Amino acid sequence: MNKCMELDLQEMLPDLLHRTLDSAARARVEAHVAECASCTEELKVLRTVASAAVFAPTIDVDRIVGHIAPYRPIAPVVQAPARSRVVSWLVAASMLVVIAGGGSLLMVQQRQPGARVAPTAVASHQVSTSSQSVAVKPPVTSVPVTRTLDQPIHTLALAPGVDGLSDGDLRQLMNDMDSFDALPTVEPEPVLSVDTGDNLDQGL
Amino acid sequence: MTPSPEIRPPTDTELIERWKAGDTRAATQLVGRHSQALARFAASSGEREGIEELVQDTFVRAFASLDSFRGESSLRTWLFTIERRLMLDRRRAERRSRETVPDEESDHVSEYGALDSLIAEEAQERVRRSLEALSPTQRDVFTLRVQQGLSYKEIAEILGTTEGAARVHYHNAIQTVKEFLRDE
Ligand SMILES: [Zn+2]
Repeated sequence: MNKCMELDLQEMLPDLLHRTLDSAARARVEAHVAECASCTEELKVLRTVASAAVFAPTIDVDRIVGHIAPYRPIAPVVQAPARSRVVSWLVAASMLVVIAGGGSLLMVQQRQPGARVAPTAVASHQVSTSSQSVAVKPPVTSVPVTRTLDQPIHTLALAPGVDGLSDGDLRQLMNDMDSFDALPTVEPEPVLSVDTGDNLDQGL
Repeated sequence: MTPSPEIRPPTDTELIERWKAGDTRAATQLVGRHSQALARFAASSGEREGIEELVQDTFVRAFASLDSFRGESSLRTWLFTIERRLMLDRRRAERRSRETVPDEESDHVSEYGALDSLIAEEAQERVRRSLEALSPTQRDVFTLRVQQGLSYKEIAEILGTTEGAARVHYHNAIQTVKEFLRDE
């Protein structure tokens, strides 16, 4: 079979088949096919292929339309109000203080009677400093935000570490933490900074 | 006598606007206009079952995101693009499930089980085998060009490739198909 020398016309054979050519182009292609054996053969092949796989299932139009949801214009993305983020952070900050308080009280609980309870700043806003006040649970959800903001920042630093806590106390602490809504993603910090706590302790 | 107004079918763009304005009959017209072409493309592309479901998913997705249809290509080209993406997703999911549950059939053969029933006649059987010999991309390009009559520009858009690459795929495909049909 001779190769076609008019490749731009051969390329239009599928368009000839689908009648998508304008009349001038169509006349040119038809005239070419009439004298080109390669294009005659190719057009025959294309006709066979085009008529082959037409046995696709009949589509139920109404069924499809029934699944189409009514038109809803794409709404612009609404940013969450800035205020709510501030509130979230205030809540998160208050939770930190609560955890500090909880940690401190649990620590107090661990101490032997008579042992000196070093940092009592926590107790100053929650319970009496008596070493017998071990039954007081840290307020989990009822600490008002405004009150939390009033706390001196070094209150956090007074919280002792959790090293001395028993397994049960740790579990209790973790359970309480689980119930918080707006915990920050970082670990609570009270147990980390101890320097300011020392200063305060000396001042007591 | 006044000349009767020219009666022409509404364009896709006009139907889309009508549907957006709440005319559900416009959706019916659009689906009726393009659904069979989508079904044919799926069958030619080797889908063996769930073609109706595939066509339905294509329309549901298309109508849900009609605002992103800019009208730069034809609606049908855009629908083919969505359908082809869904087919690729399906095949990927099938491949993954086959990896966990070993299957003796190869991808190639199982994909083409569809056409066994679709093309019954002996002459068409030869076409089926020639299409089976093509790579999936060659097959998509070839059937979109020959069975759907799309331009290389439209095909390139559907496949996310260039017109040049689509031409090369078509050229290789037609050579293979011709050889198959000539040999038998
Ligand atoms: Zn020629």
